Parts: sequence; structure tokens; C-alpha cells
Amino acid sequence: MNYTLQYGQVLPYLGYFAGGALLSLQIAFLSFCGGLVIGTGFASVTAFGPRPLRVLVKVYVTAFTNTPQLVQIYFLYFALPDAGILLSSYQAVLIGMTLNAGAYLTEIQRAGFLSRRQTEMEAAEVLGFSRWQQIRYVILPHIAKVLFPPLANQYILMTLGTSMAAVFGVEELTGRAFNVNAETFRSVEIFSLVAVFYVVITFAATLALALIGRLAFRARMRIL
Amino acid sequence: MPQLAIDNLSATYGKLAVLKSVSLAVEKGEIIGLIGPSGSGKSTLLRVLVGLLKPTAGTIAIDGRPVDFGKAAEVRAVRDRLAIVFQQFNLFQNMTVLENVTIAPVKIKKRAKGEVREEAKELLRKVGLGEKLNAYPDELSGGQQQRVAIARALALKPEILLLDEVTASLDPELVSEVLDTIRLLAAEGMTMLIVSHEMGFVRELSSRVVFMADGRIVETGTPGEVFETPQETRTREFVSKILRH
Repeated sequence: MNYTLQYGQVLPYLGYFAGGALLSLQIAFLSFCGGLVIGTGFASVTAFGPRPLRVLVKVYVTAFTNTPQLVQIYFLYFALPDAGILLSSYQAVLIGMTLNAGAYLTEIQRAGFLSRRQTEMEAAEVLGFSRWQQIRYVILPHIAKVLFPPLANQYILMTLGTSMAAVFGVEELTGRAFNVNAETFRSVEIFSLVAVFYVVITFAATLALALIGRLAFRARMRIL
Repeated sequence: MPQLAIDNLSATYGKLAVLKSVSLAVEKGEIIGLIGPSGSGKSTLLRVLVGLLKPTAGTIAIDGRPVDFGKAAEVRAVRDRLAIVFQQFNLFQNMTVLENVTIAPVKIKKRAKGEVREEAKELLRKVGLGEKLNAYPDELSGGQQQRVAIARALALKPEILLLDEVTASLDPELVSEVLDTIRLLAAEGMTMLIVSHEMGFVRELSSRVVFMADGRIVETGTPGEVFETPQETRTREFVSKILRH
């Protein structure tokens, strides 16, 4: 290989990339939180709700977990303007990722909701716990412990998934890599550097989540 | 007046009659050993007593006062006085040993935390787990978990303790530590209803043995009477099968 690495040419863009990484984190965090709200509501419906609502949720989940996220966002970005809803690329990405996350988080949480322990609730009942106290002290801590690792995992996947936003011109980490690449043509340097950025932000998140999981929920989580 | 008077009690699971007109009077300090084949209604009787299954007929009276199981307040009042320990321990997995024992007195009875913790530590020392206060249930052996469950039941200072096959899911070498704990309680004069397949234990501890089959009480007597000279054919068959082992 005759290529000579010249990281010197991309180093001035470090700050620019860092800003992009922050935007990536922001997209991941916001769409995860939005997805979590959708997922919690819909998982409650599938676990405890009436049948017609369960079917509707099932349709939503099936639609969003069986089509590519890229296609979903394209649809929002190009089809909705026809209906008079004009979205910026950032909005389209955020809404698309939120809806996609909502579908996956519904599936993940449904399993958790169904794993509540009948025997522990019986024990709580005979000790005099009210229904609400059973939920507060027995069911929720149990569900939190069961769900924390898969939720943390989903968050990491979503952080990486934000790179898709670049396709729509959002200037997050990958989008900024495209920009710098167009100026300098130092592709190898740029994308290896950007890869390091991704490793750093996902590893930091993994570490933080594993720590929270261990301290708050006694959840056993693998870090590496 | 008996402390616990069960009169013509019946209960069903769906359409299946599981208790058929059961009557039993228990005096304060008595230890009743409930024996009988699987499905005879022993555990069901205990579940009805703590309000986990509503009776379809009959009455239960505590200190002469009948309980209306349709009223939540009355069921709560019963649970203040009766405690049950389950075969599967049913400890709260997300709490430490100490938290398992203190949560009901603190959160339900609203008692002062410091005082409850001291009592709980004392109880846990009594069942031999003074060293395990901060362990989680999944870090304990079955026998240890069951002793925590007993301590948790005792923390609410019940007047009557119901033990539902508390050694049935333990490894044989762990059974004796749990039985020792129960002996300790017996020596203190706690009223107990013990469902058990440990016949030697039932015989040693019970003041009265009740043999149940098919949802009914077939025979009641002292351990000597029921095990040595059973009057009913069903009892004789059961006892002879058990003693052959």
C-alpha cells in the first residue's frame, strides 16, 4: 500500500467532530426517551389491555420491526409533505427513530411486564400490602431489574443507528465526516477517527449504564 | 373459646370443590399437624385462612369473632393476626434479607424504622441468619431462604403461624435447620398450623394431628392416636403407606 496516512490534515476538525458526536448523542437520547414512552404505554396495552387495542399495537410493532429504518425515515421525509406535513431532515430523523424505537421498546418491555412474579405478589398480599404497594415495592423493582440490560443494549444500538441521519443531511458525527471528506478527501483518516469517536461514546455509555444497572438494580451486565 | 374456629368451611377452585365442610377448633398455643395425600385440601385450608382464596360457605372466627372475607378491612385484620410461610419461600428477590423482614412493619404498619430493624436483626439471629443481613435471597441456600421467610412472617408479630409444606422443596440436608427453627417457636407457645410431609416431625411437635383427604377432615386425634391406632380406613391406609418408607 502506498497510501501515506496524514492525520495532520484532519486534526483541525476534532472540535467539529466532537460537536457532531454531541448531536448524535442528542438524537439517540431524545428518540430513546420518546421510544421509551411509546414502548411503556404500548407494552402495557399488549400485556394488560383489551384485544382490539392489542391488535393495533401489534400492527404498529410488526410494521416498524420488519421494515428498514432508513425506509421508514424516507417515507416520513418524502411522503408526509404530500399530506401537508413538512419536516426538516432533523425532525424526520428524530420522529422516524422515535417511532422505530417505540416498536422495539414495546416488544422488549412486553416480555418484562409478563415476567412479574405471582408468588412474590402473593407473599406481599398476605403481609398486608395493598395493590398499589405490591406494584411499588415488588413488581416495579422486579421489572426494572429484568428490563434494564436489554433497554441499555437498545440504547447503544440506537446511538450507532444515528449515523443514518447523515443520509438526510443532518450534521451529526457521520454527517460531519461526509462534509470533511468532501473538503479534504482524507477518507481513511476521517472515518477511522470518526470510528474512534463512536467507540468512545458508546463505550462510555455502556460503562455508565452497567454501573447504574449494578448499583440500582443489581443487574448483571457485560461490559466487554 | 378457641382462638381459631373453622366451621363448615367450603371452597372451590373454579368448579372443583377443594374444601368440603371442614370444621376445626384450635386453642391458643396448640400445634396442629395437617397431614394427608396431595390434593386433600391441606394447603387450600391455609390459603383460605389468610384470604388468598374466598370460602364459598362456612365461617372462620378468630377469638370468637367471625370474619367477613368479602370486606377488605376484615381480611387485613385477619392478616394482622395470621401469618403464612410458603413452600417456595416467596422472598422479595430485589431486597436484602433485612429489607425482606423489615418492609412490612415499616411500610405497612408504619412503625419506626430503627426499632423495626433492631427487632428484625434479633429475629434473624434467632433463626441463625444474623450474619446474612445484607445478602440477597439468590445468594442463600433454600434452607436459609426459608428461615428468612419465617423471620419475615414473625416480624408482624402474628398470633397464629401457618406453615405450608415449608420443607417440601428443600434438599434433605437443609430440612433440619428449618425444623429446628420451628421447634424453637413451638417452645415459645406460638399457635401453629403445620402442613407437612415430614411425619416424624409432625408426630414430635403436634399437639393434635388432623388427617385430611378429598377436601374433608377424616380424622383428628393426638399424634399417638392417629399414627398408632387410626380409626378410619383412609387414615390407616395413608399411615401404613407413610410408615413403610
